[in-house]
Amino acid sequence: MTGYLIRRVAQAIIVTLIVTMITFILLHLVPGGEVRALLGIRATPAEIASYNKILGFDQPLYVQYGKWLWAILHGNFGYDFKYEAPVATLLWQAFPRTLVLAVIGTGIGLMIGIPLGIYQAVRRYSVVDHVVTGISFVGYGSPTFFVGLLLVQWFAIDLHWLPAFAPQAQSLTGVLSQPVALILPVATYAFVAFAIWSRFMRSSVLDNIVQDYVRTARAKGASERRVLWTHIFRNSLITIVTLLGLTLPVVIAGALFIEVVFNYPGMGLLFWNAALQTDIPLMLAITVLTTLVTIVGNLLADIGYAMLDPRVRYS
Amino acid sequence: MAPLLEISDLRTEIRLREGVVHAVDGVSFSVEPGETLGIVGESGCGKTMTALTIMNLLPTGGHIAGGSIKLDGQEIQNLSEDKMRSIRGNDIGMIFQDPLTSLNPTMTIGKQIAEAVSLHREVSKDQAMDRAAEVLDLVGIPRVRERIKDYPHQFSGGMRQRVMIAMALACEPKLLIADEPTTALDVTIQKQILELIDDLRLRLGMSVILVTHDLGVIAGRADRVAVMYAGKIAEITDTETLFARPRHPYTEALFQALPDKAADAGERLYSIPGLPPDLVNPPKGCRFAARCRYVTDRCRDEEPALAGEVAGHEFRCFYPVGPSERAQTSRLTQYSQSTPEPELAGPRIGEELLRVDNLVKNFPVTKGAVLQRRVGWLSAVADVSFSIAKGETFGLVGESGCGKTTIGRLVVGLETVTSGTISFDGKDLAKSSARQYRKERRNIQLMFQDSYASLDPRMRAGTLLREPLVIQHIGSRREQTQQVAEMLDKVGLPRSAAERYPHEFSGGQRQRLGFARALMLSPQLIVADEPVSALDVSIQAQVLNMMKDLQHDLGLTYMFISHDLGVVRYLSDRIGVMYLGKLIEVGPAEEVYLRPAHPYTKGLLDSAPLADPEVEKAKVTEGVTGELPSAIHPPSGCRFRTRCPRAQEICVSVEPPMLPFAGEGHMAACHFPLESPIGSAIPSATQAGTPY
Amino acid sequence: MAMVPHLDPGGMLIAEAPPESPAGGQIQAKPRSLLRRGWEVFAENKLALVGLGFIIFILLFSFVGPLIYKTQQVSVTTSNAYCTPSGQHLLGCDELGYDIVGRLMVGGQSSLEVGLAAAFVSCLFGSIYGAASGFAGGIVDSILMRIVDAMLSIPFIFLLIILAVLIHPSPLTLIGFIAITYWPGPARLVRGETLSLRTREYVQAVKVAGGRGSRAILRHVMPNAIGVIIVQATFAVADSILILSGLGFLGFGIPLPSTDWGSMLSNGLNYMEDGYWWLIYPAGIMIILTVVAFNFVGDALRDAFETRLQRR
Repeated sequence: MTGYLIRRVAQAIIVTLIVTMITFILLHLVPGGEVRALLGIRATPAEIASYNKILGFDQPLYVQYGKWLWAILHGNFGYDFKYEAPVATLLWQAFPRTLVLAVIGTGIGLMIGIPLGIYQAVRRYSVVDHVVTGISFVGYGSPTFFVGLLLVQWFAIDLHWLPAFAPQAQSLTGVLSQPVALILPVATYAFVAFAIWSRFMRSSVLDNIVQDYVRTARAKGASERRVLWTHIFRNSLITIVTLLGLTLPVVIAGALFIEVVFNYPGMGLLFWNAALQTDIPLMLAITVLTTLVTIVGNLLADIGYAMLDPRVRYS
Repeated sequence: MAPLLEISDLRTEIRLREGVVHAVDGVSFSVEPGETLGIVGESGCGKTMTALTIMNLLPTGGHIAGGSIKLDGQEIQNLSEDKMRSIRGNDIGMIFQDPLTSLNPTMTIGKQIAEAVSLHREVSKDQAMDRAAEVLDLVGIPRVRERIKDYPHQFSGGMRQRVMIAMALACEPKLLIADEPTTALDVTIQKQILELIDDLRLRLGMSVILVTHDLGVIAGRADRVAVMYAGKIAEITDTETLFARPRHPYTEALFQALPDKAADAGERLYSIPGLPPDLVNPPKGCRFAARCRYVTDRCRDEEPALAGEVAGHEFRCFYPVGPSERAQTSRLTQYSQSTPEPELAGPRIGEELLRVDNLVKNFPVTKGAVLQRRVGWLSAVADVSFSIAKGETFGLVGESGCGKTTIGRLVVGLETVTSGTISFDGKDLAKSSARQYRKERRNIQLMFQDSYASLDPRMRAGTLLREPLVIQHIGSRREQTQQVAEMLDKVGLPRSAAERYPHEFSGGQRQRLGFARALMLSPQLIVADEPVSALDVSIQAQVLNMMKDLQHDLGLTYMFISHDLGVVRYLSDRIGVMYLGKLIEVGPAEEVYLRPAHPYTKGLLDSAPLADPEVEKAKVTEGVTGELPSAIHPPSGCRFRTRCPRAQEICVSVEPPMLPFAGEGHMAACHFPLESPIGSAIPSATQAGTPY
Repeated sequence: MAMVPHLDPGGMLIAEAPPESPAGGQIQAKPRSLLRRGWEVFAENKLALVGLGFIIFILLFSFVGPLIYKTQQVSVTTSNAYCTPSGQHLLGCDELGYDIVGRLMVGGQSSLEVGLAAAFVSCLFGSIYGAASGFAGGIVDSILMRIVDAMLSIPFIFLLIILAVLIHPSPLTLIGFIAITYWPGPARLVRGETLSLRTREYVQAVKVAGGRGSRAILRHVMPNAIGVIIVQATFAVADSILILSGLGFLGFGIPLPSTDWGSMLSNGLNYMEDGYWWLIYPAGIMIILTVVAFNFVGDALRDAFETRLQRR
């Protein structure tokens, strides 16, 4: 197993380096570089040149890359002129907020989706199965923002049950102290997560039900319940862990839309505002950070998988 | 004494999309306490379904449509699921064919067996584990306390099957149902497992139902046999009687299709024409009528009942074969004794065609974190030399991992040689340029084992057969199409087959296609890699007959690779026996078979079940004990020494040389052979009176 | 099958198939080409048929519709802003006075065009990349796949928006953006398929007959990989439409006077309080129905391609 893990970590590092390179190249795709974005379209070449010198943009590319990489590794993402704060600080504030909402929302979606998916597999072709399949298909095909919009329309505006905007508090405790305002954004996350997970669990359990070892378990006299939980679920668990890693990018993408719809001050909203103001460096910083999160997440999922599957653990 | 299990007119139906399959259609038999009942038949006959029905373990869509199953006098076919569960694993245990997929890969074997115990006994977790250890010891797992915490994938195939047996026996059931328990295992391991089951049966006073397609296994292990065909029992009696005096034409035909029997008598294999009937709409009369050589109109209209003249021997036929009053009154009986066909005309063996010298093939074993470091070599073929003469059939036989398939692939060019030479018609193959080499491919062709995987599913049969000609730029399109048509004739397929896709053919038909493709380039040598291993006995006979006929017609030379000794013996002029990458014995087929010099060969011959109960019961030797060593770290000196009862000091340090024995070209590599080598004063084992 | 009893050379009475019938036996079942078999499986899936039907409807609606239901889609008519559904404007008007149904048609045109084109480009590039990587093997394969891994780690939406900010969105550039972010998925899939097909015995059979590797690739591997690619492409269309709608919602969609369904919703947030439901539901429902339709078809195609390889 250690061989497998070392290989995965090494791969992750290489992937991270490639990502930084891609990001760096994008940074320099802007004609005139960052400075033009900063100063606006009407900046004269002379102004750009002088700012380039000040900010060190006239040095050879690889030197810049090296310096930039070095800075990032030290947590220095640069300084944002629009917010007048170090980028790192902005990220540090926004990230936990995004995390909290995403984890709660996806977690709830998982907790509903997984059992439902298992139930669907056991009672396939029943009415419940068809209904849930139908709902997940719709969930699969709906843009996240639209789901959010509809929820706001129905529950906030038409029925006045819930607030339309998520908690605006700056601190985590502030956010968590307004649970009612969290309901709609969490529900949006949960709905999308539920659609993915119920569909996945259904097919995973169905795949396992026809396996030979299930027949052996029945031949031993095990009840259907026991077969399901002690045998099938155990094997499906491994694939759940792998999938968790893979859906990370989807969750992050969803975060962007949900935060925009509910005006939640997380990294998604931060990114969007930065986009509206063409604040490239901030956008790139957020991209690098979330990519790192994805890579680490995938790595953790792989480690989890290696630990759960004895065929990998003892090989 | 009352029978333990009584089955009466059992019917099982399976609801599929195409219709309802009557998988088991009126089956009746009984099993006495302590006996082994064998249920034998080819694929689709319903034997596995019958076994599953007893425990009500039917697949989705399956249900018991009628009949009764009585266990110890109590009817169990209609029991509630709860009550049935207390019988499964408790009163009746079952083991399945493939131990790898039949064990939960994410649970330790200890836990899986302990589960079987705690499901039926009121014991603590520790007590259940203790019992698990006890049973694992009983089935012969070494170092139980250590290995009880291991996972299934950490065991070899034979060991895994032992674990399955342990699991089935944990609660000391009265009846053990074994569904093809050894089909997926090597012959030597097979014998070990069958011995184990027999041994446990006697020790625990169990009954066993042994379901298999292998008549040899039945001959050696079953007390009574039921032969099934198309969902019904065709014949049922005790083993000796079945093999000595079969009454049902199907049973008779099966025996005549066995290569073992034919090889002995120098006869041609009888191949049963056609295919088994469709069980969604079974035929009106006797199920075997369409393929029976004694069929009459009555057989087609009326279904015979299962009846018999002698007690304990029943069959389902109006005109049974063999001596009897009824049979003699039928006017067909004068033809019912088969006249052996004479062997095809004399030897056509000529000069040396293929020569293999000091062939070595090592595969790299890689490990490593980021970069794949090579940490060792897998010695697949270790210094093998032999030659094949023009027109002869050379059988290369051995168990899994012996290297026979690798040699086939080396000869055909699918693998590159690590060292050594392969010469064809006197010319070293490695010395040709790439272009010449591709052209020379014409002379040596390969018939693949898995016909399904070797035929591109998206291409029609005609295109597949034309492809070799296209690659070698032979003939115009019209000429190629003509050749394809002629080839289809030769292999016994209709010309319209050219328009069909591979999935539309049956297994035997696909093998014919594979063979046809190998023949398209008119090669001189055909390497056939396990060509009939996946086929039923009756289909196997068809394909073997075809191969033999075409060899005679076209003057072909065969290198026949197989693990099935019976088939190899039937077809081959000379045999080479391989073990762990080494050629340990080679010689004329009959010589090697009747007077093997190498202990492994003898062990192999002893392990292979023969369809003859007397021979089987007379086998006193243990076969081959132990497990196959690793090919990455093969034993020093003689590779077989770890499992050889005759091994001594010298076997560890010195690799035995090839010594000549009686019989032309008969050689074996052993320090203590079973026969006396030519020109040596050492007496043979049999002469010296030493055991084994 | 008619059996004719006759005597064989050994004097044995046998009832074998008549001499015209070959020893191997006839082939049961009528001839069916692969296409037909695949279609049969596909057609059994009712949902797929519904999906296919809807796709055809949407295509007609978007491209033929404007010829029937003529509306002004170019210049703004502020006097009509937010008009309620009526006989003249079946689903009302949006904030710029455009007729909503007409907007849906225009949105349909761009969504479908961009969706199909982006799916096509990304799958084409991804397949070639993946196949090449699978064949090359070794170090080349490792490096190419690490790049794919890297691209897959980046949350695609961020990358998309960065591109949209750097380069002004237009239908053409949007196709490019989506293709750039989406291609790694198909690449990895095709590479996996290539690796598995390479070891198939029918590919080896080409070598045994003396054929070159290129022949094996072109004649055997590629045709068998097509199935996977087509399935992937269908899902890619669904995903592309979703992605485009997301971009549109955020303000980075197809610019005026044209539009896409997502952009139609971008103002929805602002006017929900006013009860202008026709600004929200029509476009959203269109997106959902179209994406679900493509998903149904993709699922059925996947089943159809898998079964043709299995025994009946």
